[in-house]
Order: sequence, then structure tokens, then C-alpha cells
Amino acid sequence: MSFFDQNLRNLNVMIFHPRDKTADELLQQINRIGCSFETMWPIPDTLPQNADFIFVDMIDNSAAKLKSLLHKADGTGPAVIAIIGYENPSVLDGIFEIGAHAVLAKPLRATGVMSSMLMARRFWGEQNRFNQELGKLKLRLENLQNVNDAKFILMRHHGINDKEAYAIIRKQAMSKRVSTVEIAQAIINADGILNNFGAVKPTE
Amino acid sequence: MSPTEPWRIGTLFSTSGVTSIIEKSQLNGALLAIDEINKAGGVMGRPIEPISYNPGSLVPRYGELAEKLIVEDKVNVIFGCYMSSTRKEVLPVVERRNALFFYPTLYEGFEYSPNVIYGGATPNQNSVPLAKYLMEAYGKRIFFVGSDYIYPHESNRVMRNVLRQGGGEVVGEEYFSLRCSKPGFKDVVDQILREKPDAIFSTIVGQGCINFYKAYYEAGGRGVECPIASLTTNEGEIAEIGVEASVGHITAAPYFRSIDTPANHRFLAGYAAKFGTTRDVTSGCEAAYSQVHMFADALAETEDMDTDALREALLGRTFNAPQGQIKIDADNNHTYLQSLIAKVNEAGEFIVEHKVRRAIKPDPYLVFPEINDWSFRTQKVLSS
Repeated sequence: MSFFDQNLRNLNVMIFHPRDKTADELLQQINRIGCSFETMWPIPDTLPQNADFIFVDMIDNSAAKLKSLLHKADGTGPAVIAIIGYENPSVLDGIFEIGAHAVLAKPLRATGVMSSMLMARRFWGEQNRFNQELGKLKLRLENLQNVNDAKFILMRHHGINDKEAYAIIRKQAMSKRVSTVEIAQAIINADGILNNFGAVKPTE
Repeated sequence: MSPTEPWRIGTLFSTSGVTSIIEKSQLNGALLAIDEINKAGGVMGRPIEPISYNPGSLVPRYGELAEKLIVEDKVNVIFGCYMSSTRKEVLPVVERRNALFFYPTLYEGFEYSPNVIYGGATPNQNSVPLAKYLMEAYGKRIFFVGSDYIYPHESNRVMRNVLRQGGGEVVGEEYFSLRCSKPGFKDVVDQILREKPDAIFSTIVGQGCINFYKAYYEAGGRGVECPIASLTTNEGEIAEIGVEASVGHITAAPYFRSIDTPANHRFLAGYAAKFGTTRDVTSGCEAAYSQVHMFADALAETEDMDTDALREALLGRTFNAPQGQIKIDADNNHTYLQSLIAKVNEAGEFIVEHKVRRAIKPDPYLVFPEINDWSFRTQKVLSS
């Protein structure tokens, strides 16, 4: 039910499909569901802005074009629902290639359109959330690694233990009002410079 | 086909079992319309002949009998069904065989089939005006009771949303089997009397509905103090419940027997002449009656029973029904309907208290109805 927390009727639907009977069925059902929609055919070169959903007719050789169209460089894009006429391996490969979130099969019936939209939107939302979480986790892991490196540097230089090293970093962070990660980075940088300095020390 | 050979249609209304009260009245409405059409010379001089089967309120029977009507009786137009679960049995059959199915009953929405013409109210046409009225006239604390199947659950979901928007509160929510007896309602009635809500919203249907109203009355619950508000309790049930236990209770529906329109007077006179009484005339009965007439009007135009041709002729068609003018919405096969709120008076008759100004467009896929939408505004009806 959580999907219904957002208002389905505020979403924009884009349909890449020739205006035939399948498209008519689909448009009418989307109209009943109450979303605003627009059709485009042939598949355009750039993705229209504000499209929350894309329904796309899977025809031969369109997968490569769609793939580059649907997935922007920053990883975001609309939820994608593939409309398929065949269930043969090359069409199915195409679905995976474009990263469709749901599938509708021809002949298209009104029943099922709403479910597929909900499924697609849900997978799309989950995927985005996972990607965001993954980004955050990667960053945290990096930060943790940096703090550890900084601790080792302090331990080595001052002959102190792990806890004492962390206490120094924390104290510095608090007095300078920055994060422990920034202090750790500063220590790593300084250490690098000082070491290099030692290495390139001009011979007297 | 000989010039006098009848147009044959099928009906699937239960004349026995838990939902037989309402389904009998729907069957009667359909039969009355057929009579009127045949008396006026039929369609192109040929009478309409119904083949009526009784599914006995057994859910799987509806699907089986729909199949039988289409395959054995060679019928491609069927009128029938009350509960959603029974419609869901018929749906795949009529879609596979491309028949046309008329469903003269309110339901929970979220469906469209090109093979179905929906003649009853969707939640946006009755729940929203009812919720508004209850909160304005009685108060914001509402207790929900319902039969345990799809319509009450979905109907309560809509009602809960609308109430919340208006600052209302659901103080209890209980579900019961269709056959629940009077003693079976004892606990919930006690709970209601303890909880003292401002109104009860009931989606209990069939025999259970009658038992619930009686149990509430016998425990001391009075409609004038805390009414049971319903979308499904109508004249047929009130007649069974009895006047004393019914007074003050409220129903929202597109039609009530007491409506004062020429079309309704004609309808009631015809019904009384055919069935001897108008005791069981209900909104479902009126919907079935109107749907048969609209079918016949469409048939007069197509001069052929072809499903696709009939559908084309039906979409957008208007009809001067007993409730007022109605229209089949070409966008979604549902019907523009009136929205009336009526209260049972001392004589056991529903008297319309509030109504919306004009027929409401059906919106079967409405997830969040807006309580303040202008189209749902009701106005007080002055007693004439």
C-alpha cells in the first residue's frame, strides 16, 4: 500500500509506441487510472523531461538505443515498462538490457496495467534507494579507512595506543569544529608531505 | 432469423441464498423492463426473451452458468451479479467469449473490462458525499462494521481516507461472515454501545445486514441517536428489518423508491402491476431496469446482437431513469449517477435528505477522493 502514499495521478507517463490498437488500449487505461500521458513514436533521441514512467514497445534493434536513452549518466531515470509481442530469448535479452522494471505482454488488456505500473515504480524506487545507500556505505567505508590510517600514523609517531590516537583526533576535531574524517585526512596529508619532504631532502 | 424470433438474453441473479433479497429485486427490475419493451412491440418487432438461471448465491456457480448461457444457450448479453466475488467469476468467461455483461450493482471500483457495462455506483459517487454528510450532521467519530469480503474492505479504505481528510476518526473496525446471525453481532453491538460513536458505517450485506440492524435495535441502539449509515442497505432490507428497528438509519445511493420524478412514478406503477407490491424496489433493481432499457435502445440502433456493435452504441448513451438522467461514460464503461442521502422515517420509507446537484462522473480508479471536491457537495432537500 505504501505506493499509494504518493498520488499516482501526479505522475507523468510517456509512451513510446506506434498509435495502434495496443497503444489505444494502453492510453485509455492510463487515462482511467488518471495519469497525464504523452505518446511518442518513433523513439526520440532525447528523453523528455519530467517523465516518471516510460512504456516502451520492444521492437528489434531498439534495445541499444533505448539503453543509452533511458539511463542518464547520473544513474537516475524513469521507471520503465516494456511492452512485448514475443517471448523469445532475444526480446527477453532486450528487456534486461534496457533494465525494464516491469513487462506487459500483447495483446494488452486493461487489467494488469495498474499492477505493472505499481511494480515498476516500486522496483525503480527500491533500486534508487539501494544505489543511494550503496553510495553512502562506500563513502563511510572510505572514511573509516582514513581514520584508521590516521590513527596508525599517530601511533607510529608518538608511540601511543589505538584509543589514545583516536582521542587525539577527536579532540582536534572538536576544538577546530570539523569532523574526525577531516582531521584524519589532514593527518594523512601532512604525513605524506613530511615523508616526501624527508625523501627529497636536498643533500647538504 | 425469422422476423418474430426473440432476442435472447441471459440473467444471473440468485433467487435463493444469502444475497437473494437484493438479487431478486434486481431480477424483477430486469424482467419489468423486458415486459415494458415487449409490450411496446419489442425491438424491431421482435420480443426480448430472458433465460434466467439461479446461481443460489454460490460464487462458483455464477461463472459456470455464464459459460452455460454463452455456450449452450448461445446468448451473448447477460445481466447479473451482486457481490464482487461473483462478478469476478463471470468476468473471465465474458472476456474470453466476447460477450457483453451488464452489472447493475455498486462496487469498490478498480476494474475495467471492455465486456462489462457497470450500472452501479463507484466509491466516488456515494462514499464521499456520505462521509461529508455524516461528519456534518452527526460528528466525527465513526465505527466501521462490514461483511468479510472485498467490497467492505475496499469501501472502508476509501471511507477512512475521506474521514481523515475531514478530521474524522475511525473508532472501531470489525468484519463478519455473510451469514452472521443476530447473536453473532452481540459483542460488536455491545462494543458500539460502550464506545458511543457518532455514527456507524456498515457495509454488512445480505442476511447478515438484517441481523445486524435487529441486534443493534434489541440492544438499545437507536437510529435517531447514533444511526447506521450504509451504501448497501436499501428498501428490500428495511422491509425485512422492520420499521421500528430501521427508523433514523441512513443510506447513500443513486436511487430511492420515494423519489418524485415522472419516470419513477411510471416505474413504480409498472412494478406494482407486475409484482403486486413495490416493497422490494431498490437501487439495484432500478439499475437493472435502466440497464435493460439502455440495452434495448442500443439494440434498436444496431439491429444486431454483435457485442462490439452494441458496446459502441452503449458508450455515451443517456437514459431518463427513475433516478433522473444517467449516462454511460465512454471513458470507462461505468455510469454517471445521482448521489442521494436518505434517512428512514417513521413509516419505514427512505426520505431523501441531501443530494448532489448533478449526476457524478464515475471514477473507478480514484485512490484518494478529495472531500472538498466541488462535485461532491450536497444540498439539503426540502420535503415537499
